[in-house]
Amino acid sequence: MTAPTLEIENISKFYGNINALQDITTSVDAGKVTCVLGDNGAGKSTFIKILAGAHKQSEGTIRMDGEEVNFNSPRDALAKGIATVYQDLAMVPLMSVWRNFFLGAEPTKSFGPFKWIDVDTAKRVAKEEMAKMGIDIRDTEQPVGTLSGGERQSVAIARAAYFGAKVLILDEPTSALGVKQSGVVLKYIVAARQRGLAVIFITHNPHHAWPVGDRFMILNRGRSLGNFAKDEITRDELVTMMAGGAELEELTHELESA
Amino acid sequence: MKKFKWLAIVMAFGLLASACGDSGSSNDNAADTSTTAAATTAAPVDQTQGGDLTFYMITHSDDGPFWSVVKRGAEAAASNLGVKLVWQGSNNDPEKQVQDIEAAVSAGASGIAASLPSPDALVPPLQAAVAAGIPVITLNSGVNDYETIGALTHVGQTEIIAGEGAGKRFNDAGAKVLLCGTQEQSNVGLEERCKGAENTFNGKVITQFMGGDADQASQQATINATLAADPSIDAFLGTGPVIAMSGLRAAQDLGRTLAIGGFDITPEIIDAIEAGDVSFTVDQQQYLQGYMPVLLLYLNVTNQNTLGGGLPILTGPGFVTPDNAAAVKALVAAGTR
Amino acid sequence: MSDENSTAVADATSDERLAYRGVFQRLLVRPEIGAIIGAIAIWIFFWAVSVPFGTAGGASNILDLSATLGIMAVAVSMLMIGGEFDLSSGAATGALGIATILLVKDTGALGGAGLNMSIAIPLSLALALFIGWFNGTMVERTSLPSFIVTLGTFFILKGAKLGISKLVVDQIQVGRIDEGAGYSFWRKIFASEWQRNDHQFGSRDFFYTLGIVGGFALLVLAVHEYNYARRKVLNNAGAALTAVAFAGGIAGIVILHATDNTGGNYLGGIVIAVSTLVGLFGFGWWRFEPVAQRGNLHIDQQVSKSFGLGLGLVALGAISAVTLDSASSSDFFLLITEQGLRAMLFVGLTSAGITFMIIGVRQASTTNPLTKSTGLAVLATTIAAIAFLVRSESASPKFRGAAFSLLLVGALLALSWAVTSSCFEERRFAHTAADNTGRLLALVGSLMVLGGAVVRLLFTTAAEIERGISPAKFSVRIVWFLSVAGVATWVLGRTKFGSWTFAVGGNKDAARQVGVPAARTKTQLFMIVSSAAWLVGLLLAFRLNTLQSGTGDGLEFEYIIAAVVGGTMLTGGYGSAFGGAIGAVIMAISKAGIPFSGWNSDWRFVFLGGILLLAVIANNFIRDKAEASR
Repeated sequence: MTAPTLEIENISKFYGNINALQDITTSVDAGKVTCVLGDNGAGKSTFIKILAGAHKQSEGTIRMDGEEVNFNSPRDALAKGIATVYQDLAMVPLMSVWRNFFLGAEPTKSFGPFKWIDVDTAKRVAKEEMAKMGIDIRDTEQPVGTLSGGERQSVAIARAAYFGAKVLILDEPTSALGVKQSGVVLKYIVAARQRGLAVIFITHNPHHAWPVGDRFMILNRGRSLGNFAKDEITRDELVTMMAGGAELEELTHELESA
Repeated sequence: MKKFKWLAIVMAFGLLASACGDSGSSNDNAADTSTTAAATTAAPVDQTQGGDLTFYMITHSDDGPFWSVVKRGAEAAASNLGVKLVWQGSNNDPEKQVQDIEAAVSAGASGIAASLPSPDALVPPLQAAVAAGIPVITLNSGVNDYETIGALTHVGQTEIIAGEGAGKRFNDAGAKVLLCGTQEQSNVGLEERCKGAENTFNGKVITQFMGGDADQASQQATINATLAADPSIDAFLGTGPVIAMSGLRAAQDLGRTLAIGGFDITPEIIDAIEAGDVSFTVDQQQYLQGYMPVLLLYLNVTNQNTLGGGLPILTGPGFVTPDNAAAVKALVAAGTR
Repeated sequence: MSDENSTAVADATSDERLAYRGVFQRLLVRPEIGAIIGAIAIWIFFWAVSVPFGTAGGASNILDLSATLGIMAVAVSMLMIGGEFDLSSGAATGALGIATILLVKDTGALGGAGLNMSIAIPLSLALALFIGWFNGTMVERTSLPSFIVTLGTFFILKGAKLGISKLVVDQIQVGRIDEGAGYSFWRKIFASEWQRNDHQFGSRDFFYTLGIVGGFALLVLAVHEYNYARRKVLNNAGAALTAVAFAGGIAGIVILHATDNTGGNYLGGIVIAVSTLVGLFGFGWWRFEPVAQRGNLHIDQQVSKSFGLGLGLVALGAISAVTLDSASSSDFFLLITEQGLRAMLFVGLTSAGITFMIIGVRQASTTNPLTKSTGLAVLATTIAAIAFLVRSESASPKFRGAAFSLLLVGALLALSWAVTSSCFEERRFAHTAADNTGRLLALVGSLMVLGGAVVRLLFTTAAEIERGISPAKFSVRIVWFLSVAGVATWVLGRTKFGSWTFAVGGNKDAARQVGVPAARTKTQLFMIVSSAAWLVGLLLAFRLNTLQSGTGDGLEFEYIIAAVVGGTMLTGGYGSAFGGAIGAVIMAISKAGIPFSGWNSDWRFVFLGGILLLAVIANNFIRDKAEASR
């Protein structure tokens, strides 16, 4: 068996005397989805920032394809193949789909000292790549702001895939969306998985995680409550763990007796 | 000298550190002169006659090119007469001017000359000075209030009369339709210049606002449009030197020959007058507004003379025309016109 | 407008929500479209009110006014798209002009550095770039709003201008750039002028007419290509009909030119009108699918409201034209003559009426083709009626000739649109080949119209000079203006830097996230503005020879206003450089129109304010409409 695309071993992060994360271990393979579940304050955002290169872990190692890596900056992480899609920061709403798709990495043509964007190529590629995600964008001139929330996420996912990301980190892509739109995004996650990306899907919703995930890691107060493959856990167990498990039972008991 | 100026250009434009020289420094100057008093006079003061007299000239001066000429006039008079002069400029701050007047009264001034840009604030302290037995003369602005104060007289130019002088000049040039262009809206002085021209000019006068001096290109285009709309216009009076030059350029663009007049002096307009492109510019002769009050105060204090018979003494309109342009140019360079 | 239809189509073909946008909706989302319509409307308004406004002299005046304002407005638009302001831009124009003069001025009595211009001009450009770099770096390093930082720079520059001028030359004016070494060469670059009366062009009007008529014909065909669904197999009978009609049209033009009496003119006009209608029908029959369902006439409340309001306003305009005295030149109310008031009322009311009727047509088009074409027919009849009213009521040849024929052409267009829209099926999906043909036709058509207009404005005829029109002088600054606007439009639309500008203004964090160097982009934008200020400073210095220390102070707000009028959003991320240029033209037309009309200038700012408010409201309205209909 080959090494997983991304392997996280005993990662901890301390801010002064606060343990934001402690001894987190999980992994994700190419063409698989690892879901990281956790409530607010569970340490999800610290976890993302370490993987995206914005922060450095205090302890532990990260390996990509079996080799240890260190990220110095978000750009560094991006260059090594880790693309992060943040929920709010994904797009420039007033710009067209194709400009957003290629923003920061526009294809150019040149003549002498003059360089300009190869608009036809950019439009064609954006359309093709979106089609691979299952979206038919007829007019790539359309501003991203007029797309639905789910479609916006999909543009970001398609962009990450096109620019050679091996690992795709999705930060709460469904949390601000309605039921139907969330379903659309889950479809895109599956599409990304089928294209061979290793996906880390961060969410607080076990119902969104269960249908797409191959591996589940539950965070609570900076600690891992477990790191399960899909056949090691049932949907109900996952829901119960996320809902607070023993704590919730205690609370129910307390409320009933009152 | 050249090196120093060159350095200054680089410093203020480039390093931006030395650049707040505008409003900050003028206050310093005013404070400076008020303490060093007549020491600012270039020539040594002759103390033999009237050396115990100290006259205060308290104006709203901003130390710009206009007021620096007034100041030179006053200093020359003080030097010639051998009296002390205290020059105080308030940079358009009535509050400071009031304080300066009150300070002059308590310092026991022999006479006060003051400009009255805001009469409501300045009349009471000057009345107090008159009540204290100090002779007062108003200069530059204050023609409507010098009698209320009880001042000896007023030395200055009234805008109406200056405009009337300009109107007569255009009659002599044989003009029929005069366009009077202003560079500020709701400035009473500029409106009066045009009204004065209307009083004496025999033909029709059209008064229009043409846009400010900060945007000369737009000013010129507006004059150009006004001229194009009315081919009968054959004379242009600009109520300032810059707008007069804009009028000249607009007329040249249209290929029209107009009689052109302006107000006040800049090197540019004098060159144009010398070349014959502009007929005249109205000159306030502000040197007199500095020189005369000091002289009149001196004669009043030493000899109980009064001049003007209760009427204001007008320093203008003087005219710069092609005949005297060359001479005036030299005097401008010397700083007395 | 067609919200329901478009979603319906989208739902039918796929599960996502991107609908096809027709040519007009595409056009409407361009940020500068409101400004272009506004500019044309204000121009027509003053053309109607003032005699010399529509001549080459008027055009040169407006362009001259637009040039310096426009160069700055274009640069400021770019900066505002990037989400920042530069309040020092106005003062910088004067500062850089004065700096250049001081650098070239010979030493001697008045001081200066005495450099050759070929050294001084690049040196002042370097100073400009430094000012821009300083602004940008300060904004980025301190994270303070650019409003505050550049306000500081503004005061520094304003003070420096005065301080340095007085220190070096002891004047508040710095002058005589013409004494500098190398003046004659650099003058050609910054202050060449062409007196157009020297350039007579006998057949000017032929080329003008050809450009306008041919160009509009192509534009109409382009709209057809965009608007209607293509047939699978072309219908050759339609092509033959078009050819016949084309021949008829040429015959009509020949009749119009050969005869000089009213009867002949009407005959020519009728022949042209009929062949245009037949020709357009033939063209459609040749290429497009016939309409599937024409429907029944269905006038809902909205449509009847719009048409009622429109017809009422037109009637009111007509009544005021008939009742007020056309010959009276006595002052009527504060600022204008009765004659002027009549022209204003008539033009204002009828154009407002026609606008409401166009809105009504758009509303009718959501119901069915028959209702839409009925609306268009009513519109065409109204325009024709206005044309004949103008002809009978007006004494001036301008109205009896140009306005009359223009209105008739408008009526003809509306009528032919009524015919085609009831005959052919509208396209509600993209068709690459048809869209490309449409784009090509539209491009060639616009270029022809533009060429015709340019020929008309740049050349004079012997007859006109005999009539004594005021001469036109075109300055090289117009060339600078057009080049700057063109280059900026290209840079914004077609380069990485342009994309990054929109991105940092629209969502800076997202831009950073994908690797756009936000700080560098913004600093470069500030440097573009200060370089534009350098160019304007030099244009002013070479034009005026002497600069006041106050030159440019306070004009930064005019630049910002021009940018906003041109459709750039104050909050950044949206707009166009070309729009800024158009905004400057609007301001220039409003400024020049008042003296051209001989109105009392006391009301100038009231008028200017009104125009600007209208422009911005219209902009917003159009943008909202466009966004709602996508």
